[in-house]
Amino acid sequence: MGYRVGVDIGGTFTDFCVFDEDSGALETLKVLSRPDQPGAEVTTGLAEITARHGVTPSAISYFTHGTTVGVNTVIQRKGAVLCLFTTENFEDVLEVARLKMPDPYDLFSTRAEPLVTRDRVFGITERILVDGSVDVPVDEASVRRAIDGVRAVGGEAVVVALLHAYRNAEHERWVASVIRAEAPELDVILASAVWPVIREYERTVTATVAGYVQPRVAQYLSALQQALSDAGVIAEAMITKSNGGVMTAEIGKTDCAQMLLSGTASGVIGAASIARGTGAPAAMSLDVGGTSADVAIIIGGQPQYGVGEMIGEFPIHIPTVSVTSIGEGGGSIAWVDGHGMLKVGPESAGSSPGPACYGKGGERATITDALVVLGFLGRAALGYSAVEMHPELARTAMAAIAVQLAMSVEAAAEAVVRVAVSGMYLEVSKLVSRRGIDPRELSLIAFGGAGPMLACWLARELSMREVVVPRVPGVLSAFGGLIADIKNDFIRTIYLDLDEAAIEPMQQGFGDLARQAMVWIRDEQGFQEDVAMFPSADIRYRGQSYEIDTPLEATWIEEGDIQAIAGTFHNLHEQVYEHADRAAKIQIINLRLVVTGQPPKPAFAPAPKASGSLVASRQVEVFHDGELHLADIHARVDMAAGHRFNGPAIITQDDCTTCVLAGFSGVVDDAGNLILTRKD
Amino acid sequence: MAIDKVTLEVLKNHCRAAAESMAFTLYRTAHSTFVKETEDFTTGLTTSDGETFATPVELGATWFVGLNYKTVIEMIDAYDEGDICMTNDPYSGHVCTHSPDMHVWKPVFHEGKIVCFVVGHIHNTDVGGAVPASISRTLSEVHQEGIRIPPAKVMRKGVFNQELIDVMLANVRMPEQNWGDLKAQIAAMNTGERRVHEMIGKFGIEVFREGIGDLLDYAEAQARAIVAELADGDYFFADYMDEDAADGFPCRLALTLRIRGETVELDFTGSDPQVESSINMPTGGQERHALLMVGLIYVLYSLDTRLFLNSGVCRVASSVLPEGTIVNPHFPAAVGLRTLSVQRLMGVIFGAFVQAAPDRLPSCPASGGPIMNVNTIDNRTGRRVVAAIGPITGGAGGDPWRDGAEGSGANSSFLKNTPVEINEAEVPIKIQRYGLTPDSGGPGKHRGGLALEMRFEAQAPNTKVTARNMDRSRFSSWGVLSGEAGSLSRFVLNPGTNRERNLGNIDFLSIDPGDVVHVGSGGAGGWGDPLERDPELVVQDVRRGFVSRGAAESRYGLVLGDGGYDKAATVRLRAERVAARLDGESFFDFGKGRTDFEVVWNHGNYDVLTELLAATPVHWRFFVKHRVFEAIDGIIAGAGAVDEPGQAKVKDDGSDVRACYQRVLKEFPQLRAAVEG
Repeated sequence: MGYRVGVDIGGTFTDFCVFDEDSGALETLKVLSRPDQPGAEVTTGLAEITARHGVTPSAISYFTHGTTVGVNTVIQRKGAVLCLFTTENFEDVLEVARLKMPDPYDLFSTRAEPLVTRDRVFGITERILVDGSVDVPVDEASVRRAIDGVRAVGGEAVVVALLHAYRNAEHERWVASVIRAEAPELDVILASAVWPVIREYERTVTATVAGYVQPRVAQYLSALQQALSDAGVIAEAMITKSNGGVMTAEIGKTDCAQMLLSGTASGVIGAASIARGTGAPAAMSLDVGGTSADVAIIIGGQPQYGVGEMIGEFPIHIPTVSVTSIGEGGGSIAWVDGHGMLKVGPESAGSSPGPACYGKGGERATITDALVVLGFLGRAALGYSAVEMHPELARTAMAAIAVQLAMSVEAAAEAVVRVAVSGMYLEVSKLVSRRGIDPRELSLIAFGGAGPMLACWLARELSMREVVVPRVPGVLSAFGGLIADIKNDFIRTIYLDLDEAAIEPMQQGFGDLARQAMVWIRDEQGFQEDVAMFPSADIRYRGQSYEIDTPLEATWIEEGDIQAIAGTFHNLHEQVYEHADRAAKIQIINLRLVVTGQPPKPAFAPAPKASGSLVASRQVEVFHDGELHLADIHARVDMAAGHRFNGPAIITQDDCTTCVLAGFSGVVDDAGNLILTRKD
Repeated sequence: MAIDKVTLEVLKNHCRAAAESMAFTLYRTAHSTFVKETEDFTTGLTTSDGETFATPVELGATWFVGLNYKTVIEMIDAYDEGDICMTNDPYSGHVCTHSPDMHVWKPVFHEGKIVCFVVGHIHNTDVGGAVPASISRTLSEVHQEGIRIPPAKVMRKGVFNQELIDVMLANVRMPEQNWGDLKAQIAAMNTGERRVHEMIGKFGIEVFREGIGDLLDYAEAQARAIVAELADGDYFFADYMDEDAADGFPCRLALTLRIRGETVELDFTGSDPQVESSINMPTGGQERHALLMVGLIYVLYSLDTRLFLNSGVCRVASSVLPEGTIVNPHFPAAVGLRTLSVQRLMGVIFGAFVQAAPDRLPSCPASGGPIMNVNTIDNRTGRRVVAAIGPITGGAGGDPWRDGAEGSGANSSFLKNTPVEINEAEVPIKIQRYGLTPDSGGPGKHRGGLALEMRFEAQAPNTKVTARNMDRSRFSSWGVLSGEAGSLSRFVLNPGTNRERNLGNIDFLSIDPGDVVHVGSGGAGGWGDPLERDPELVVQDVRRGFVSRGAAESRYGLVLGDGGYDKAATVRLRAERVAARLDGESFFDFGKGRTDFEVVWNHGNYDVLTELLAATPVHWRFFVKHRVFEAIDGIIAGAGAVDEPGQAKVKDDGSDVRACYQRVLKEFPQLRAAVEG
């Protein structure tokens, strides 16, 4: 037996979650991130954990890690000097993208400059047709010219993305072999190997994002492995993936496309496990940090997946835990426009200078400052005392807003929270409307440094009945990594009418995918326990331009049960779009396969049972709904399963503060979660 | 304003959320792929007077922020709770602007009184009429453009008016799609109604009622502040569509913009008479009609993107819309393809405003481009395939800070393309090229965005190709402040072969196996002097293949050298170019096609034509315009000169135009009778 350690690196803090396999206890820690010296925060944190909890590195049996290094490489534009080889006459694929602009009302709206600018795109004379047949074979001279071009622009790596290569990758491999022979110093990434799906822009941009981040990600992961090894950790480092699973860090060095949304996804995995624990049929996770709020929908304890999630300004099209980012966080700045209207964000004080109350030079009022003025924050240290609170500075900053609004400082602070929450309401409303979900039926699972601060307000705005605050809300992403499966996705485009003639290609396709999956999990991941496979297919009605990922039973594939497949699709279409056309022709576009292996799951010790009722450590005044209230302060460490309390209350713990408004009542459940229920 | 501004900001977010959730409901439950692909729909909330106070910005068409439902609301005698009304008649109230757009509105009641309406429209793929999809440039009467339903209740107290629905569905080509999409619209209305009730529950009826008025006032106040920063003055601008009908003459849209303090007047006097094709814009003479406001809203929002979008913005504007013109046509002028003319009209509005704020606004975007459709038989399956293969758009205009976006942007930003791989999987064509057109962006200190082009090969005989909205084959997108015009659109059959044929602005052709079609949009205009363009940017454009080496020298005065440019030679060449310039550089560069046209049809001559036509009965105007143009062409050809035989030059004082008109009057005594009668 030993310890399992999950680590998640964010912009400001690096979070640790430590699970003791013997006692079932869970410990947490936050240390400051070290963007200047990646890996250093892990060393610091491990030393701190040894000091605090007596965990020796060699006793660590399992280590998972979420990192934003990939996303940051894109946002900061610090990736490889990347080149792209496309089919000749289609070199503008990244420039043209899908045409649509981010803000269609703005004459100045533009697309982001591609990660591979047009001077580093080279056309290859070749052509494969839609059925996979060769129209024009690869002209090796054109490849050599392209290689000369790469050298002339100082290219470090080449993405090869040719038309219809999802169907026949022979030309991409041919081009790669020429590059390897002529220019062995260049890294080569084949788009058909990253994610072989139809739609050339989506496939190409995904491969370029992967190729762009690859050198830095590989370097980072090597540094991490070294740091762990130096610290005496023997367990192999695992990396959390965008699909909510994990893979070895070693594989992550080459399969970068899979780990771009590493930390974000594992937060949702953590929230999903909380939802399974509380039995919430539908939930929304709310992860609020300094500059943004990430929300995700969890149905039946399962995160929802999407494609086209944004990495900086670019969509990637591999399966990803679907997370919507809202530009409002604890550091969002309040201001008053020229017409006297109060606005919050999109500008943020971030972590530096941070909110005024941090006393690090911030002078403009933020959401966090508003909560300080209202009396909810500043009652205890935040972030393991990494931040010292200065309530008087928050008041000063808020006074400037109060003057413009001609109201008291407290009223202005509440106005800031109301406006901020209404902005979040707008974005969340769009998310649930898009999916046809009634927000009143959702449990709100709040985490991140500022999630539990704002959750009651948002729940009220959305008419949600229940807020859940996990035991370790400040480090839920690190926690999510600990419980994630080893997981990978596979895809093949077949693009056929769903009829008898599709059965054989379907069976063959799934057979190939299953073989790939076994190679990945057994050989590449070295995972020898039981594995599970989940086949599905992207299906649509003829004439539609979008597909539904339809889960399939293995027996339907084996027996060629077209009726069962079609029936499932019709039902799903009905469920998602509220209508189905059972007489219409159906197309099966892509076959998908998910493979998972479950590492032994941690058995968490139940929360201690309450003996007697909860007594507030003290009472303080808080202001909300236009009046002063007396709020109980409870320390989370003192709360045990079965404890009940009423809002207004403030619950403090090392990694965050939970604000409970009047009108909410709370109870600690058996797993130690705070369940806050809105009274009518 | 009546309610406190903090509550107003919160209410604003809730109203936006309601409009957005209506849009998502509609989008999610719509049946037709057309709606899903083009997002050609709207949802919104209006006051009980029909003013739109909240509109979605995430989804849907960008044209209808300023829509006012007042006229159609009033055409229904009385409302009960649960009623939903609809109309797609462009001549009943002018809320609907072409027959495929089915507009619906539903009153929302509180304690027995209407507090607001929830509204919206969907562009149906087909509403019957002379041609599939109901729209063709060649149509001349609205009756040819499908069934028209004047304002009527499609639901009475929550029960379908089945007779009306049956009549509609009996007249359209794909009734299941129309029916499915109508149900999606009704679902959106019900979502909106529920959200309004939730807001009333949260804010209280008084705050809600006052607040929605305040939201209009707020948008108006923002718009007024934006206008106030623009220089007062009169700004004239005109632009042309290639043709006013097949094989016709150029079609002019003209505007005098009068900026006065916080308000603007849009005077469209000088625009052509209504036309015998379907590019008329049915505004009903309403001075704040949505079709007129689109361009204005683009300008104001671009000047300050914090502008809250609702029809309060339009209160800064009034318009002058002469009767019987393309901007205010009489029934039953066809209107199906008003998409094309509204796009050009937006450019005219941009052209007027840019004179008031050249340092804050861009030059002319390519403004759309043809939407390509293919109708053919798939040799692989024997099945007929009718499919849109994508919009061929062009870039955004260069602006004071940057180059225009490439290939799309500005007022085409909402369009999405279809991937080459999907097109080839669905449609039996082989795409030979898809990408940007080098040298198509108007040169400038900040270059105009490049055009997009596609080349494809037919695989089956009698493959029908349509290019809806094809234009700009003669008149370019303009540049400003010495920035140059963008390239013309290009539509060519079998380019580079001995069977090459220039297709110009035709919008329909039939091709056979092996035939290759090349279609390219126009490029956008440049901003500022190309000789002042940062040489490094020109070098970069050359490296990126956006500007050819030849154009770098001929149009930007750049002397390329080894891996970069020759600094000394470039300075010298640019100085020579500047010195060789004629005095009196004009504010705009219009490109050769328009400059040549305006040698004859200059401002003065066109004013005279406008004046003469305005005095002519509406039903004669199009005819007379054509006869006058032909007579003027005769003078140019030297064959039919009016008063000075043999001299093939048209005077610029309007006298030749008057003389030609007199000749037409003489030739057609019926006209004289009509004019004098």
